[in-house]
Amino acid sequence: MTNYIPTIGIEVHVELKTNTKIFSNALNGYGQMANSLTNVIDLGYPGTLPTVNKEVITLAIKAAKVLNCKIRREIHFDRKNYFYPDNPKNFQITQSRTPIGYDGYVEIEVDGIKKKIEIEEMHIEEDTCKSTHRGDKTLLDFNRAGVPLIEIVTKPCISNSTEAKLYLEKLKELLFYSDISDCKMEEGSMRCDANVSIRKNQAAPFGTKCEIKNIGSISNVGLSIEKEIARQAKLLDNGEHFKEQTRRYDDKLGDTVLMRVKETGNDYRYFPEPDIPYLYITDSMIEEVEKTIGMLPDERRKTYIEKGVSEINANKLVQNKPLSDYFNTLLEEKTDFKIASNLLLGDISAYLNKNEKAITETTLTKERFLDLIAKIEDDTLTSRNLKDILETILEETTSIEDIIKEAKIANITDDNALRTIIQKIIATNEESVLDYKAGHDRAIKFFMGQVMKETKGSANPKLAMDILKEELK
Amino acid sequence: MKQVHNYLDLPLIEINKLLKEKKITPKDLVLESFERIEQNKDLNSFITLNKEEALKKALELESKEVDSLTFGIPIAIKDNIVTKGLRTTAASKMLENFEPIYDADVIKKINDANMIIIGKTNMDEFAMGSSTRTSYFGLARNPWNKNRVPGGSSGGSASAVSSRIIPLSLGSDTGGSIRQPSSFCGIVGLKPTYGRVSRYGLIAFASSLDQIGPMTRNVYENAVLLNVICGKSANDLTSVETKEDFTRLIGKDISGMKIAIPKFYVNDAIDQEIKEKLNAVVELLKSNNCTIDYVDIDYIDKTVPLYQIIAMGEASSNLARYDGIRYGYSYENPKNIEDLYLKSRKIGFGPEVKRRIMIGSYLLSGKNAKEYYDKALKIRDDLRKSFLNTFKNYDLIIGPTNTTTAYELDKGLDDAIKSFLDDILTIPVNMAGLPGMSVPMGFSSEKLPIGLQIIGKPFDEAKMYQLASFIEKELNLNLNPNGGVEND
Repeated sequence: MTNYIPTIGIEVHVELKTNTKIFSNALNGYGQMANSLTNVIDLGYPGTLPTVNKEVITLAIKAAKVLNCKIRREIHFDRKNYFYPDNPKNFQITQSRTPIGYDGYVEIEVDGIKKKIEIEEMHIEEDTCKSTHRGDKTLLDFNRAGVPLIEIVTKPCISNSTEAKLYLEKLKELLFYSDISDCKMEEGSMRCDANVSIRKNQAAPFGTKCEIKNIGSISNVGLSIEKEIARQAKLLDNGEHFKEQTRRYDDKLGDTVLMRVKETGNDYRYFPEPDIPYLYITDSMIEEVEKTIGMLPDERRKTYIEKGVSEINANKLVQNKPLSDYFNTLLEEKTDFKIASNLLLGDISAYLNKNEKAITETTLTKERFLDLIAKIEDDTLTSRNLKDILETILEETTSIEDIIKEAKIANITDDNALRTIIQKIIATNEESVLDYKAGHDRAIKFFMGQVMKETKGSANPKLAMDILKEELK
Repeated sequence: MKQVHNYLDLPLIEINKLLKEKKITPKDLVLESFERIEQNKDLNSFITLNKEEALKKALELESKEVDSLTFGIPIAIKDNIVTKGLRTTAASKMLENFEPIYDADVIKKINDANMIIIGKTNMDEFAMGSSTRTSYFGLARNPWNKNRVPGGSSGGSASAVSSRIIPLSLGSDTGGSIRQPSSFCGIVGLKPTYGRVSRYGLIAFASSLDQIGPMTRNVYENAVLLNVICGKSANDLTSVETKEDFTRLIGKDISGMKIAIPKFYVNDAIDQEIKEKLNAVVELLKSNNCTIDYVDIDYIDKTVPLYQIIAMGEASSNLARYDGIRYGYSYENPKNIEDLYLKSRKIGFGPEVKRRIMIGSYLLSGKNAKEYYDKALKIRDDLRKSFLNTFKNYDLIIGPTNTTTAYELDKGLDDAIKSFLDDILTIPVNMAGLPGMSVPMGFSSEKLPIGLQIIGKPFDEAKMYQLASFIEKELNLNLNPNGGVEND
């Protein structure tokens, strides 16, 4: 098979996390009873007019900012006219001529090399309603009609499926971290279309474009792009021509499937929405929005690593926004961030997952967490002992100090007490002493085991080892 | 036994006095309205009557204090303004059985002002027409001559006020639909400045031009009704906050007013008789120390094609929602979704509406949008600027409302262009977003009313009322087609 150069562009629709819909005051919610979140405006009743939800404009400005877009200061909406049962007015209010954001980028890293995925434009529009097909009937749920969306369109600058996946992961992370969208692909709050074409070499004109619509997950975006490249390559190798078309990715088939061939360009009869006046975006609006943008994922990772957190842990923390947010509250403190990250991602995460709790729902205030870290740092608490008292730490408000005292598991760091115990163990295990002297490694491990058994795990391991070695001499 | 009260021939102020003195009740007015509807059945002014609810409301009001001029007054509403629980058809088969589940903003205001909605008036289908002959519910007639059109599209509202069925009505005006029927029926009709009245609940024809306005027997009552319905609404982003008393300049001296007449408004297409009446008004104003100049306004003669592009383009999109899925006429047992769309719209819409949707769709297709719609918006801007320039030197602009008086019911029915040419003098006002009104200035030799059009700068309705009230008083016309008791 010839090696072709793929050209890929990606369009992403993201539902904005607003309280109400974009053009009406009906609630914006997912998973509610069908048609319970809808009103006359969403249904396109005669005489109704759209109003504009300010939250949408704010979130769109925020998105433009985190995607490094320029922001257009004078925007309006346009009508995209087409008949479809999920389109209540038979026109969609969107932005065709004055997208709010343009000329942005998202930076990805492929094998250590940074690349900017350029964003052509991002615009605001309303979602359609949801159709469910039952036999020869179609049911319509208007809860989704009028949910605010932003559509983010890249330039055709993506070269392969890896870049596409990295771009989407990064995009998702950015939008999620800035509270713009919950980006749940499985619930449809983030939806991806990929445009794929291939050509023989850089000098050749772009090949015929095929669009893969509504791909259900990021990994499927990768798979569908690979399959589509292979499909087109095979056709071209065989000297076949094909028309511009819309396809979908079939998960079971593991391949793209033809939906429709694009005939002459769709005629959407765009014209400016006369019911909504121009909107003017001022400096102060942008400044206000900028203030609400917290630390973004890349900066978080960088900061964590600078603070001594391992790269793996830094990535894991960023993947879990609530933990990362919690971790960020520590950043100004003097503490051991490595221990902090280990604790959060280890035992504490296990507890949270098991109990289906958020970190903020536990009693682990910042101060108590700092105390806990200190107790581990100075060896008062071993990680084994921590397991015994973790529930108490996370569910009660008693101080860490008192909890350790109560459980009587403070490390035995008293030299003499430990020495007495060790002498007793050595005295009753003569065979092992001989083993040790014969140079058998397992003997010292046996003794340590005995020490821990005797002290219920509260012996300071380093101290115990030192004394053991002295006594065995 | 014939009751000869004729309360509804009295000015609002006198009705109000009778109500206050408890000599009559709102119920008397409602009953009289319905008697008159019965007597004027041949006018076909109404599509739907609201008798039961109106009587109920009248009884409710009996226990309330008469606190305003509009208290207890019967009003008729053009049938493209949605009324909760009261059928609203836009005179179309498409909405023949449509019962709205919400009230238009103006309806809330009408209800809050304790007015009583008598019924929904006949009109051209979806307000597309200027003769009320495209109504699915049959044509309406002119009270001055029942073989003539009442004008349109607010023809039912005009004929109902003219025939004194009710003192007040609401119409809507996209290219002249309030002013032209007001002129044909000898009443006062105002299209307010675009944005003055909320359009929420007005079934859209051309969103950037539509405006609801008052249609009344006289100037003062028109201003009173505008006081009730105006104001910014959170539901309509194109509405504007303006609080003022529109009656405040009525009766005030007009001497020193500078008035312009666009030269286009005395062109050859206008009936000689109409121009003569205009000249008489000019002389009247001059003799009262007003300055009158004939001026040029750029593009004022080009507005019919502009109107066709903008209004039909917008209409083609606004009327796309009538697809048989959620409400309105729905073709039974369609083969598929395509069939449902095609048959519902083919059967549900009348020929004029379909014609305009097709033209509008064409005008927005492909490159046409840029070539026509965008260009039309630009020229429209220039027209507005030219008007505003004129207003730098003049207080008001006047001219005839129409080129002719009310024509025969069967005239020009097969001429699709005629209804637009009728509107060459009213369309410029919508295009520029200005307020415009029609006030009677006399009768033709055939005893048909002739309207004077007064055009103001944006939000200057009060001054328009000032001039209109002067002319009304000086001409002292008997505007009751039945004779009546007014101006005796």
